[in-house]
Amino acid sequence: MKLNTILLSLAAAGMMFTSHVALASGGGVALKHASIDVVDRDQLLRGLTVFTDVCMGCHSAKYVTYKGLMDYPELGVSRELVDELRGENPLSSGLVTDLSPEDAIESYGKVPPDLSLVVPGRRGGADYVYSLLTGYAHDHDGKIPEGNYNTYFPGHSIAMPDPLAWLDHDAEETVELEQQANDVSAFLAFIADPHQNERRAMGKYVIGFLILLTLVLFLLKKEIWKDVH
Amino acid sequence: MLDTIMKTKIFAWVDRRTGAEAIIKSQLTEYPAPKNLNWMWVFGAIAMLVLVLQIVTGIFLAMYYKPSAMETLGGFSVAFDSVERIMRDVNFGWLIRYTHAVGASMFFLVVYIHMGRGMYYGSYKEPRELIWIMGVVILLIMQGAAFFGYLLPWGQMSFWGATVITNLFGAIPVLGDLIGQLLMGGFSVGDPTLNRFFSLHYLFPLLLVAIVAGHIHALHTVHSNNPDGIDLDQSDPNNVVMFHPYVTMKDAFAVSLFMILYMYIVFFNPQMGGYFIEVDNYVPANNLQTPAHIAPVWYLTPWYTILRSFEVKLVGIAAMGASLAILFVYPFLDRSKVRSARYRPMYRSMVILFFIDVIVLGYCGHTATTETLKVVGQIATFYYFFFFIALLFLPRFEKTKPLPEGV
Repeated sequence: MKLNTILLSLAAAGMMFTSHVALASGGGVALKHASIDVVDRDQLLRGLTVFTDVCMGCHSAKYVTYKGLMDYPELGVSRELVDELRGENPLSSGLVTDLSPEDAIESYGKVPPDLSLVVPGRRGGADYVYSLLTGYAHDHDGKIPEGNYNTYFPGHSIAMPDPLAWLDHDAEETVELEQQANDVSAFLAFIADPHQNERRAMGKYVIGFLILLTLVLFLLKKEIWKDVH
Repeated sequence: MLDTIMKTKIFAWVDRRTGAEAIIKSQLTEYPAPKNLNWMWVFGAIAMLVLVLQIVTGIFLAMYYKPSAMETLGGFSVAFDSVERIMRDVNFGWLIRYTHAVGASMFFLVVYIHMGRGMYYGSYKEPRELIWIMGVVILLIMQGAAFFGYLLPWGQMSFWGATVITNLFGAIPVLGDLIGQLLMGGFSVGDPTLNRFFSLHYLFPLLLVAIVAGHIHALHTVHSNNPDGIDLDQSDPNNVVMFHPYVTMKDAFAVSLFMILYMYIVFFNPQMGGYFIEVDNYVPANNLQTPAHIAPVWYLTPWYTILRSFEVKLVGIAAMGASLAILFVYPFLDRSKVRSARYRPMYRSMVILFFIDVIVLGYCGHTATTETLKVVGQIATFYYFFFFIALLFLPRFEKTKPLPEGV
């Protein structure tokens, strides 16, 4: 076996190893799968509504500006809606909650984290966000107060009170709540990296060009080396 | 094309004042390279390309990056904000930053393969000992540059990684505290640390360029090794091809192939499932909250495992230092006259096992320790050192195969 083959198989083995580990790092409980599509404008806009109506009561997404909501082609929010959302805030302002850190500590015991980067910043990403929102349950041991027990939160005791009122919802509401959780997960996944769709679209051309270039260079190499034996 | 340029009057003017023609001839068009070099010999050129890309993207990032730990709204910092500004508001900032961040991992990947090739085919052996030693210096500077660079986004893993590593220095007897404080610019990782790490992160690549120049100069003095590890008469055209255009075209093809992989990661999977950009680094640094599991980025994990394999912290640090230091004496530990593993059956098995061993070490360092993994890490650490020590005695037992006469 030549060294090339050895190294290649080692590299392949290494990559398989890493992908398994990445899957297994959810934190004990297997996460639910979020059905999100970061190019689906309707879903992103529904997610924006959930975000501004529910999440923004306590959370911010300070890296997303009101202007950004209009400018990102995936969102294309109208000026009227942005004006309604921002109130007195300037267009360049980020989506920042009105809840002050002091009030948050008094009510919930901690400052709610900024959600701009919550998807890449949590193991499991959008699946984790979706699972968390639909993961409120009753604590069978009765130690954790009602509304603060979450199946998917590490340690199960979460400071955030059930935002979508998942606990004790009736069967008819399940679909509606699951959709809200999916939509807001999609929105959060999008704003974590707002150039991701542009990046993937451009990537196809970049890789296509590189494959062509490699092909040309391969033929050139072959031509130049043909007299070497 | 080069010929056409060299025939122009302008070139003649420059040549009379710089000796450019002599340089081009001695280093490119009339520099001989063994014609049996295989594809493992392309990684040096690829590493040079990545170094250049890292420097170019780094210069552009530094135009927007602000090294300040001053807190901003939402528990973030000026540094973290500036990185997000690059990702969101700077034109193609995301491309430049992902290219740089992924580039760090690609640089190590390529350099590790490059070193593995040198180990397998005996490129570190007489007369190329200094090329290997300069290469080890390059590796150490790369590790330093990567460590400094990782602090800059001021995320949780930046902060806690730097805290763990700088505390290690504190365990060194007598001078430990002083070294730790000099590195941190204080008694803990903070704003002064960020500023000096940024400064050093800019300095180290410049050192790299200088040492890479020395590495290549030494190589061009003694000429390339080859897969058979035999001495070749470099003036015999049956043995060699000219570097340009033969090797340059081969390298160009390999570089292009490598760029497909690199750009695929940049455009489609820049975090690489948390291996190239760690999940915790999307959370702003918080000195009151330790992440559940602190691990260095994959390219430093083999050494981290060696460090963790010993109960006494100081012994672990010494072992980690020794594991890097032993690379410097590697050419002198191995006394075999035969270079290539192709003709050294025992060495061949040992070195392949060594490659696997380093991967095992890396895996153990990245995952949260369990009892089993700890023992596996300790066995792997033992083999890491055993490999080098055993080389001292290997020539007594090893029956090498006969070497070919030519290529």
